[in-house]
Amino acid sequence: MSVRLLSVDVSDRGSQRCRLGPGLMSSLGLSLGSPLLVCLPGGSCLCTAWPRSDLAEGFLQMDIKCASPNLISHPPTHLNLEPSQLSPVPCPKLRGVKITVVVQSGEFRKHTPSRLIYELVKDMLKGVYVYEKHVINLEDFDTEIRYIIVESINPDSASAGLITSKTAVEIAGIQTVRHYRSLLQGQDTVPLGGLEEVSASLKEMLQLPLLYPGTLSSLGLSCPRGVLLVGPPGVGKTLLVRRVVGEVGASLVVVQGPEVVGSRPGESEEKLRSVFESARSAAEEGPCVLFLDELDSLCPRRIASSAPENRLVAQLLTLMDGMNQSDRFLIIGATNRPDSLDPALRRPGRFDREVIIGAPTMQQRKDILSVLCAKIPVCPSVDMIDLALRTVGYVGADLSALCREATMHAIREYSKGSGEQAVGLKHFQEALKSVRPSCLRSSLGRTDLSPISWEQIGGLEEVKLKLRQSIEWPMRYPEAFVRLGLSRPRGVLLYGPPGCAKTTLVRAAATSSHCAFLSVSGADLYSPFVGDSEKALAQLFRQARACAPCILFLDEIDSLIGSRSNSQTAHGVQTRLLSVLLNEMDGVGLKTLERRGTEKILQVEGADENCKQEEVDCQEVCNKDVMVIAATNRPDCLDSALLRPGRLDHIIYVPPPDQQARLCILKLRTNSMPLGADVCLEELAAKTELYSGADLENLCKEAALLALEEENMEASDIKHTYFLRSLDKMTPSLTSQQILTTGSLVCLSTCLSPRTTSPIQPTSAGSQDAAQTVVKDSSATTEFTDIKMRGGFFQMLRKKKELIPLIGFMAFAATGATSASLYFLLTKPDVILNKTRNPEPWERVDPSKPQKLITINQKWKPVEELELVKSLHK
Amino acid sequence: MSKPALPSLHQALKKSFHSLENNQRIWKSVLVECGPLMVSLENLAEQSRALSNVQISNTPLRDFPELEERLRFKLLKSTDTVLFKLNEKMSSLQSVRDSICNQVSAVFQLYEQNSDSVDLLTLTERSAATPSVSDMLEWLQDAERHYRQQFVRRKTLLQTLRADDLSALEAAPKRWKSIECPSAEDQITDTLCKVSFFIDS
Repeated sequence: MSVRLLSVDVSDRGSQRCRLGPGLMSSLGLSLGSPLLVCLPGGSCLCTAWPRSDLAEGFLQMDIKCASPNLISHPPTHLNLEPSQLSPVPCPKLRGVKITVVVQSGEFRKHTPSRLIYELVKDMLKGVYVYEKHVINLEDFDTEIRYIIVESINPDSASAGLITSKTAVEIAGIQTVRHYRSLLQGQDTVPLGGLEEVSASLKEMLQLPLLYPGTLSSLGLSCPRGVLLVGPPGVGKTLLVRRVVGEVGASLVVVQGPEVVGSRPGESEEKLRSVFESARSAAEEGPCVLFLDELDSLCPRRIASSAPENRLVAQLLTLMDGMNQSDRFLIIGATNRPDSLDPALRRPGRFDREVIIGAPTMQQRKDILSVLCAKIPVCPSVDMIDLALRTVGYVGADLSALCREATMHAIREYSKGSGEQAVGLKHFQEALKSVRPSCLRSSLGRTDLSPISWEQIGGLEEVKLKLRQSIEWPMRYPEAFVRLGLSRPRGVLLYGPPGCAKTTLVRAAATSSHCAFLSVSGADLYSPFVGDSEKALAQLFRQARACAPCILFLDEIDSLIGSRSNSQTAHGVQTRLLSVLLNEMDGVGLKTLERRGTEKILQVEGADENCKQEEVDCQEVCNKDVMVIAATNRPDCLDSALLRPGRLDHIIYVPPPDQQARLCILKLRTNSMPLGADVCLEELAAKTELYSGADLENLCKEAALLALEEENMEASDIKHTYFLRSLDKMTPSLTSQQILTTGSLVCLSTCLSPRTTSPIQPTSAGSQDAAQTVVKDSSATTEFTDIKMRGGFFQMLRKKKELIPLIGFMAFAATGATSASLYFLLTKPDVILNKTRNPEPWERVDPSKPQKLITINQKWKPVEELELVKSLHK
Repeated sequence: MSKPALPSLHQALKKSFHSLENNQRIWKSVLVECGPLMVSLENLAEQSRALSNVQISNTPLRDFPELEERLRFKLLKSTDTVLFKLNEKMSSLQSVRDSICNQVSAVFQLYEQNSDSVDLLTLTERSAATPSVSDMLEWLQDAERHYRQQFVRRKTLLQTLRADDLSALEAAPKRWKSIECPSAEDQITDTLCKVSFFIDS
């Protein structure tokens, strides 16, 4: 028979009574006022048993005077208790008790003599049953003394006892309520994984001045007092602070950015000052952390002279400077936009240290996942390492959302009656579809590609192998790569005639490796604003690095990125994009803000003790970069700097299919088609010289359509004749000319990329400049047409030196002419006339309608000019 | 064994209620005596404030040497006297509280000695004239708790007063009044009414 827990009667407040039915009391062997321990979820409560005044059974009301700390702050409600949860406890009279007193205000604690507190506490505690480690609630006395924590009791053989007037009371310490509550909050620790290093350094900063105050002062050392946490949203900055504060046992004063901003002038500053004051008073009792969350909203960069934020920023600066050495509290700021902070904040003395928390690496993701899954019943078959591999680019918040989704899927399945109550791999897979990494949210090149396997691409075995080498192998066999000191290639260029499955190959590569996959086209990058495209490309690389390992696919790279050697405009968008790309692929280094985890250095020894761990480490070392895959059918248009090893290392020629490959493609394409018995694919393959893969696919389609056309929707199979007839109508999209140029480019690539196709040769030829070519022997460069042309010109100059002054004069004249024409070009603004033939401002012009464009001279006399224009139009 | 236990318990309860009645009367009278003392305390605080607000050198009284110090000394002395008197009253309150506490604990001790011989059913038995033993024990405990609470609150108030904290001194009478809890006091009177037949029987 269970009893229902009701809230306590007003008249019983502070009496430590527990009202039961008399029947239950006698069945438990309790007499009036005998002590009783009630076990509740989250703690226990010690009370004295009394019969209810109406003698009813089935209810229980108790006054929580002496209970576990959790129950004091969160009193239980609406519970049903089993009689087994109630147990009588023997309570001998205590000889002594050691307590900590919790008082309401620091004022009281400071001014009241300890003798008085002792007397009051003794008066209050008389006749109270206490339990070890419980908290006694004294709020009913309505004085400054709020709680008493029972630290230990004497005799210590008993866990509970009665305090009488003869019990010796020893006060171990006095705290304020706020400090005590913050300690309580710290106790229910939040799960946190993968941030051990950062949290250790934070803990050190908090604990050092407490543990070794003498050493620090004798060394004349001032401890750092400000830390700025920087990182993308969702990596756990706020959680980290709460966790560290809880572990150290410090009290936490939190300031949310917008919270302190008031409407009246001066109000915000006042609030900020009071926050610092409260932190200072809290620091008197123990370590204290002042946490400024979302600091960028509180302290933006100071701009105009009279913005109200400026005063707030100035106030914060002076407050942080005004902290003297005796104020032992630490200021932690958190932001995800460090660049928008006022620079004055980020100097030693204010925020001394900046801790960057990047998107979690694979190892960190594994840690986070195992912390998150500790409370979830996960199938033993779920491998955390595998899951961490798949969740590339997920931050802590994403991972917790993922676990939640997976659990929800499991619950849904369980409620349908099938499956057991555990979260399996399939639930995680379901959840992976709906939870996307927030690193890539609002990213340019995020694409959902339809999966395709290597087997679905006919022929091209060699190319496939090379692609697998450079993409799949580093992911699959990282330990082999590390053993041989190999690093993953930075980039791969696929080139070849159009329609030969370059893009499809990349799709297959992306499918087979579990990398994040980003793909950009010109439409994503180009923008009407100067500098915008470059910024977008740099941003793309930044996002890709945040979720490395990542594949970045640049299709039709020749049109996207220009070449410096042969473009007409030296400072066009394409050239600028090229420079961004070159920098991003092999620049000096990364920005400090992009730091992720700590650099791992692999040790060769001790490999066999933890094989799995070793593999994870290898994985991290090997795959921490972004891999760029570019595809083009005009490799000659690419800049030579892009093609050197270190940028696009592997240059892979995707050839037009030979007969064998064509047969393969035809077989794959006709797999789903009902072919007639007479169809000879070998013959077709032989006849389709110069046909690309796309052409062959089209051929199959045409033949099937022809069959439908001829046999009037009733066709059951496709006969050989249809293939032949459609073949007659088609022409191959490749020309031998094209293949010849690419053939010559095979030679080019042979010279450019010695690693892929031929034994080592000096790489200078590709990066050679025209000027260098002049000095070298001319026979070395015969194969490259463009170099040859330029080289020929300089050679001609070398032979006929008398031409040089003439050329110099011509160059001078050309420069003059160009500048003059440029001047005229620039000094002629365009004016658009509207229907009433008045000049119209550009903003109001409707771009969809055709307008009359008239060019007027710069020295514009509006009235006369307008008259002139009007007369012209009449 | 059951038979002799109950009458002796009844006897002890009667005695305790008698003493409770007496003590309640004494408590009330002491509190009434405290009233004027608290008012004079407020008065003194007001005078001290007035003294610190005035600049004696700007008044005709500046010819008297060390007037401010002398006045302050006088005020402090009389404050001390008042507080001393209040302390005396507190000790009489304490004696009231102690006597109630002793009575109640004596009854409980008697009950605990006999708790094995009396079963719960008899303890919770009520009749028109006599309330049940458990009810009466409860009422006694409630009364004791009330007096202990009252005493602790008043003691805290008086002990935390400081001569330099004038506003607290000024507010003291109000707080002294607010500590008084008429409803709890009424409840004790009610209890005494409820047990009047039992006491007289």
